[in-house]
Amino acid sequence: MNFAIETNHLSRIYKIRNNKKGNAKELVALQDVSLEVHPGELFGLLGPNGAGKTTLIKILTTLLAPTSGTAFVCGYDVVKEAHKIRPIINMVSGGESSGYGLLTVRENLWMFAQFYGLSSKEANQRILQLLEVVGLADRINTKSSDLSTGLRQKMNIVRGFLTDPQVLFLDEPTLGLDVSASRDVRRFIRQWLDEHPERTILLTTHYMAEAEELCDRVAIINQGRVLACDTPASLKHRLQRQAIYHLEISQVNHHYSDDLKTIQGVREFVLRPRDGYTVLELILDRDETLAAVVNSLTENQGRIINLQKREPTLEDVFVDLVGKSMEDVERGNNGVNHSES
Amino acid sequence: MQTRKTDSLSVLWRSFRLATWLGWQIESNWADPFLFAVYSLIKPLSSAAILVIMYSVITQADFESPIFPYIYLGNAFYMYVGHVMTGISWAVIDDREHYKTMKYIYTAPVHFPSYLLGRGVARFIIASISVLVTITFGVLFLKISIDPSQVNWGFFLLTLLTGVAMLALMGLTLAGVMLLLVHHMFGVGEAVAGALYLFSGAIFPLEVLPAYLRPIGFLMPITYWLELLRRLLVGKVASSFPTLQSFSNLQLYLILVTLTLLFAMLSFFVFRLCEKRAKELGLIDTVTNY
Amino acid sequence: MSNVAITASTIPKASGWKLFLKTVIARAYPRIIGQQREKSWMFFDIFLPILSIAAYVFVYRAIGAPEEYIGFVVLGGAMTAFWLNVLWSMSSQLYWEKEQGNLALYIMAPNSMMAILLGMALGGMVATLLRALVILFIGGWIFQVQFMVADFWTLILVFFLTMTALYGLGMMSASLFLLLSREAWHLANLAQEPIYLISGFYFPVKNLGFWIALSASLIPLTLGLDAMRQLVFPSAAQFGFLNLHLEIIGLGILCVLFLIGARYLLHYMEKLAIQEGRLTESRR
Repeated sequence: MNFAIETNHLSRIYKIRNNKKGNAKELVALQDVSLEVHPGELFGLLGPNGAGKTTLIKILTTLLAPTSGTAFVCGYDVVKEAHKIRPIINMVSGGESSGYGLLTVRENLWMFAQFYGLSSKEANQRILQLLEVVGLADRINTKSSDLSTGLRQKMNIVRGFLTDPQVLFLDEPTLGLDVSASRDVRRFIRQWLDEHPERTILLTTHYMAEAEELCDRVAIINQGRVLACDTPASLKHRLQRQAIYHLEISQVNHHYSDDLKTIQGVREFVLRPRDGYTVLELILDRDETLAAVVNSLTENQGRIINLQKREPTLEDVFVDLVGKSMEDVERGNNGVNHSES
Repeated sequence: MQTRKTDSLSVLWRSFRLATWLGWQIESNWADPFLFAVYSLIKPLSSAAILVIMYSVITQADFESPIFPYIYLGNAFYMYVGHVMTGISWAVIDDREHYKTMKYIYTAPVHFPSYLLGRGVARFIIASISVLVTITFGVLFLKISIDPSQVNWGFFLLTLLTGVAMLALMGLTLAGVMLLLVHHMFGVGEAVAGALYLFSGAIFPLEVLPAYLRPIGFLMPITYWLELLRRLLVGKVASSFPTLQSFSNLQLYLILVTLTLLFAMLSFFVFRLCEKRAKELGLIDTVTNY
Repeated sequence: MSNVAITASTIPKASGWKLFLKTVIARAYPRIIGQQREKSWMFFDIFLPILSIAAYVFVYRAIGAPEEYIGFVVLGGAMTAFWLNVLWSMSSQLYWEKEQGNLALYIMAPNSMMAILLGMALGGMVATLLRALVILFIGGWIFQVQFMVADFWTLILVFFLTMTALYGLGMMSASLFLLLSREAWHLANLAQEPIYLISGFYFPVKNLGFWIALSASLIPLTLGLDAMRQLVFPSAAQFGFLNLHLEIIGLGILCVLFLIGARYLLHYMEKLAIQEGRLTESRR
């Protein structure tokens, strides 16, 4: 079977240079990553900032060599056959500022299309077509320096799709976009893949909902390691036997977190203070454990404002795998299994 | 009222100090110290060497002639012009297009012109090293005779700093213009300094210029500044050229100060005008790379 | 889903020399259009340099130099435009491209890096040629320089060889920017005045002595400028560093060396930068 993307025990270690001469620190960005992405898949890499997602994309797009292991795109080795991979891939990163401010949207896109060998006629047709799809056609002659962040990102998205790549890498494509622009971008990505079922997309995101909405399969990655890889439904199914609750409780004293850790059957929990109340996300081994949680709450002078039993989400899967929410990981709240934020 | 005045002075000082620190970090911190040293030594010595070779080819290395120290010292001090003007004006492009911090600095409670002036300090320090090295080289190897006991060091220092302030104000004018310009690949500050080289009497007396170009030289404070610096270091040699012979040192200094004050007013006016226009055109945070 | 096969794009795409050419044109485009849209460069890049060159002319006048030296300065001043184009519009431009995020896209695309660099240089060539021609003709006219071209076609050949070798050298130095960032930018900054000095932009390079002039001949402008002076000013033969034919041969060798060297170095540096993760880092 030919995979669109295949990695075997892929690792990457960065040597962080110090400004002062001497010791260089080592940072493990990827560790023993083995993945297989099928042609036609929209594959998601879900993980917090700094998890190694971008490093993996850099390796797969031939911009970075792995320290060990191998990686293949459309069957070609990313190190030895980079020249065969480059014509058939493209990449878009969130928040990128590529292109030239003095050029218009059309001119920037035309220029990048030329680097891939498209004829000017073909490029211009496709530019217009794609700009219409993303709702940017009326800005075709606007200088890119005059575009808002959202519109600029839409231009970048078009740049990625313009060359009709066999494998497209989208690195946090909705980063920094407002809700409506993100929705437009997501809709466009899904629509493109539906219309071109033979193409493959590898998308990295740290937005759970984005991964859940878009991806056929998702790999959850943290600290350079892939912790789980499956369809969103199957990943969530892992938690099917657990009881998942969303509670809104009055402010409690800080011992409550320690008390929760001692309750048998509390698998994972996340405490998030909000304005005037606290949100408690709970993953319990069974429903009966809830009584003990409520008792402990009462002992800590707390009361329940709202309680809901809900279906598992990818967020719960992440908490279950990592022991803390993605938000907490990004804040660098390391060292404890359970978290408060 | 008093408090407000103190406040605004402290804002000026804070802006200047912060920018000085930042400028130094940018100019020195990321580069290898060895490379940095080479950069501030080889470059100035090479530009001096071009003139020395031009001179020695034609005059069979007659370094005793008064025209030689005239050229050599004029060129050495002229390094301040390029460095200070570039340091201040380049900060606009660097912050706007490269670090993309201009909008944050602009909206922060800092005094923007003071901030830009502060960004030039690092280049002033680098220029001072270059000037010192160039002059030392001239004294040691090229018969430039400076008698330290004859030099009025206080007056020299005062003149030097007045001139640097004047250059900083010219740099600020250019920085204002840069707010309206795209990011050109070449150094605009150096291009302007290179052009002014012609009119400032730095490397040849103004009499050599055609008569219709001389008034430009006489209007430029750099002309008086360089003349005064040369006179203060090498006395008679410098005054052996007729250009400004009729003026005493004090008169030259007063002309320098007057022109500097005029330039100060002009530069703040031009800067504010350009700044206003840049805001109207939405250019404060533009990225124009091409 | 796993039954879907990998299929190639149906959009026709050029490769080989056609892709090379397309890339050169595409990268030259922003430069040319940028210069059209913002004309302030004409003042800073054309008008001001004339004044700066004029300063050197007047130094010669001040020390009573023979008139041919005025011509040497004007021709040398015109040629600085090409050196600056190589330094700032090609080599160190990669520094900006890296910081901007464009470099990664260039490397990731199937085009050749040489084509990108050539595009940058050719895009800047409009301004460069204009600068050189203005200095040459306006400067020549103002200072009444007598150009007497002895052999027009040899002059064209020398110019062409000089440019080829020079841009080859530029591409070689550009490869440094793939690995370095600000340090390389400083190096480019460093390579201005010292090169004006050792390549004899303002005086015949012969005056530096044989061995220095020979070492400086590694910079193609040294031999190119010397040969052009010999071809444009009849009296310059006595100031020439080497015999004209030797200089032409030297330039030919440099062309071959630098073009091959550029191809090899760009490839090698790209590989090294990919290994070390330098292509996408931002070290401001």
